[in-house]
Amino acid sequence: MRYSTIGQVVWLPLVLALTFSACRAPTAPGSAAPSGAAAPAEGAAPAAPAAQSAPEAIVIGAALPLTGQESRAGGYFKTAYEMAADEVNADGGILVAEYNKKIPVRLVIQDDQTDQNLSRNLYERLATVDKVNFFLGGYSTGLGVAHAPVADQYKIPYVTGGEAAVEIFNRGQKYIFGALSSVENLATSTMEWIKYWQDQGQLAKPAKIALLWENTSHGKDYQRGVQNFVKANPNAFSIVVDEAFQYPGATDHRPLLQKVKAANADLFLVDAHLEDYILMQRQYTELGLHHQVVTYGARGPEKAARDQLGNAADYVAAANWWSSELPYPASKSFVQRFEAKYQSTPEWYHALAYTAATTLFKAIEQAGSLDRDKVRDALAKTDISNALIPGGKVYFKPDGQIDNPFVITQNQPGGGAPIVWPLDAKTGDATLPMP
Amino acid sequence: MAEFLNTTVNAILVAGLYATMSYGLALIWGVMKIINLSHAGVLMLGAYSTWWLSNTLGVDALVTLPITAIAFFLLGMVIERVLVRRLADAPPITTLLLLFGLWLVMQNFAYSVFTGDTRAVLTPYTQSNLRFGLLTIPVTWLVTFAIGLVILLLLQQFLTRTMAGNAIRALAQDRDACRLVGIDAECLNMVAFGLGTMLAAVAGGLLALLFSFSPEFGGPFQLKSFAIIVLGGLESLIGVAVASLIVALAEQWSVAVIPAALQNVVAFVILVVALVVLPNGIMAAVRQIEWRPFRSPR
Repeated sequence: MRYSTIGQVVWLPLVLALTFSACRAPTAPGSAAPSGAAAPAEGAAPAAPAAQSAPEAIVIGAALPLTGQESRAGGYFKTAYEMAADEVNADGGILVAEYNKKIPVRLVIQDDQTDQNLSRNLYERLATVDKVNFFLGGYSTGLGVAHAPVADQYKIPYVTGGEAAVEIFNRGQKYIFGALSSVENLATSTMEWIKYWQDQGQLAKPAKIALLWENTSHGKDYQRGVQNFVKANPNAFSIVVDEAFQYPGATDHRPLLQKVKAANADLFLVDAHLEDYILMQRQYTELGLHHQVVTYGARGPEKAARDQLGNAADYVAAANWWSSELPYPASKSFVQRFEAKYQSTPEWYHALAYTAATTLFKAIEQAGSLDRDKVRDALAKTDISNALIPGGKVYFKPDGQIDNPFVITQNQPGGGAPIVWPLDAKTGDATLPMP
Repeated sequence: MAEFLNTTVNAILVAGLYATMSYGLALIWGVMKIINLSHAGVLMLGAYSTWWLSNTLGVDALVTLPITAIAFFLLGMVIERVLVRRLADAPPITTLLLLFGLWLVMQNFAYSVFTGDTRAVLTPYTQSNLRFGLLTIPVTWLVTFAIGLVILLLLQQFLTRTMAGNAIRALAQDRDACRLVGIDAECLNMVAFGLGTMLAAVAGGLLALLFSFSPEFGGPFQLKSFAIIVLGGLESLIGVAVASLIVALAEQWSVAVIPAALQNVVAFVILVVALVVLPNGIMAAVRQIEWRPFRSPR
């Protein structure tokens, strides 16, 4: 074997792998075509209405990951957007005062294949080719960071229920609004829950924290939330491990878990996506680790994880944007309607997507116009009570993001995951410290 | 001390897994001189095969490995006969592109059949471990290491003790000489590709016992396999085993001094260093060492 041959052998595949890395999220055969799952009818609504003639429909566009890595969540968002549109259309549409009539909603949903570049291109296409009136958001922080700037570029109001990273909202954009509370808030809610039980004498005080987070803006927000809380409560907490792990593509968390084991922490706090939650919790159990509290950020009660982890998922706590067990009337009503329509229980993705869509509909009605600037102003003044999400309100801070609390659930043996925080919404008792 | 001990034992167990997933790539290169870029796809489909068979048949995942092995041996032979052989005389980039395309086809197939949901194989021993003083060894890793060792021994026996194995080794050394003595090179190509595919699928089945997976699964493992076979020498199974141990030790120990988020980078640093310092692989370098104390005086 000569060097030149080996060089060819190594570099050719590496160059190919890099060149085609953008192809890592292919479209499944038979899935929705990129050109749109529901193309607008001829003569779809123009950007600005004529004085007297009302458009046939209010066209609302979104690009969702219907195939590729995030296809499951993307499918949930599509279902919830369609449910919201079906409900408002069943009532004749959205009442637009300047036309003095109800105008139905028409969705244009396209498949971004979980690809950042394609996602941005599709939002541009929605603005320039499909000429939508308004945007609904996509799903996942990574995609949102790429496509959210299109909203301000074309001055089209954009409401999302699937992108939470601060990085999306701290760029000074005026046309994006997020119904998903920040990941920093997620960490704060978790720490408040822990602090409450610490003060009740159930958990160690001061407590040592092992903090692991995926190396994304999502993970960094979580890290910042925990760090800020610890700084504000120096007598109650200290961080003994604070480290990032690779996302996506981590293949073995055991060396990191050995570090955690050696640090002898009391609390194990992680921010992870589903696949890393499953892998890390499996390896955590295999290595015989134990802490008083184990949480993976928003991950925990997912059926896929419970199926694949078995009893290793018991007592894992999760801070979430919504739970089907939330005892608010609006939430209960949503669950009933969803179950009647789709014969399955909604997850938080459905609830937040539905909330984003109905918030946009309400803002259009409040504006009484399809003028994008008027709708943007109405969104900025949003103040909805009796919402189905934790806190019961929808409103936006000056940066466009909601500031609601989270619900915390804790997996119970046998499959349940009752809400254990906040106390006024709890549906079960927390088991702390973890047995 | 406990951390170092556990990390070192982990590395040895990881090395068994790395070696298992790299044998197939090394075998196909050794015989056919092509880089199998569909290796990651086969790893992924091997994982799905194990998951699907164990769920469908209701048996332990390990019991299904022989079925996966036979199925993918046949699939590999079909791929060689129908696709790869047609490009035997084409430039190397053509075969690379063909096999890269095949990887994408496999991913799409998995998306359409299994959806993009994350899956994992759960067995009664999945989360159990053995404790020896300070040492904690997960049972699944011990099992996959043992199977990897058995595969290495069986493969070594096949290649050194059987007619077909000797013919494959001869083909790897000198294709023209083999043809001159009447060896059916095309048939052996098919067998070698089948074996390589089978080994990758079995490795995928073992990976399924340890990791969760989706249609995107396999890419990082394929790139690590490249690093391992280059470091080990592209045609040496023992070299692959030694290189697997080196890569695994470097990865596991590195987390003590570098951020865990950079763990996957370690294998690629080793790849670059190996290309510069040991261009013919570690086994070739070992063979070149002059053992002066045992040389007879001239």
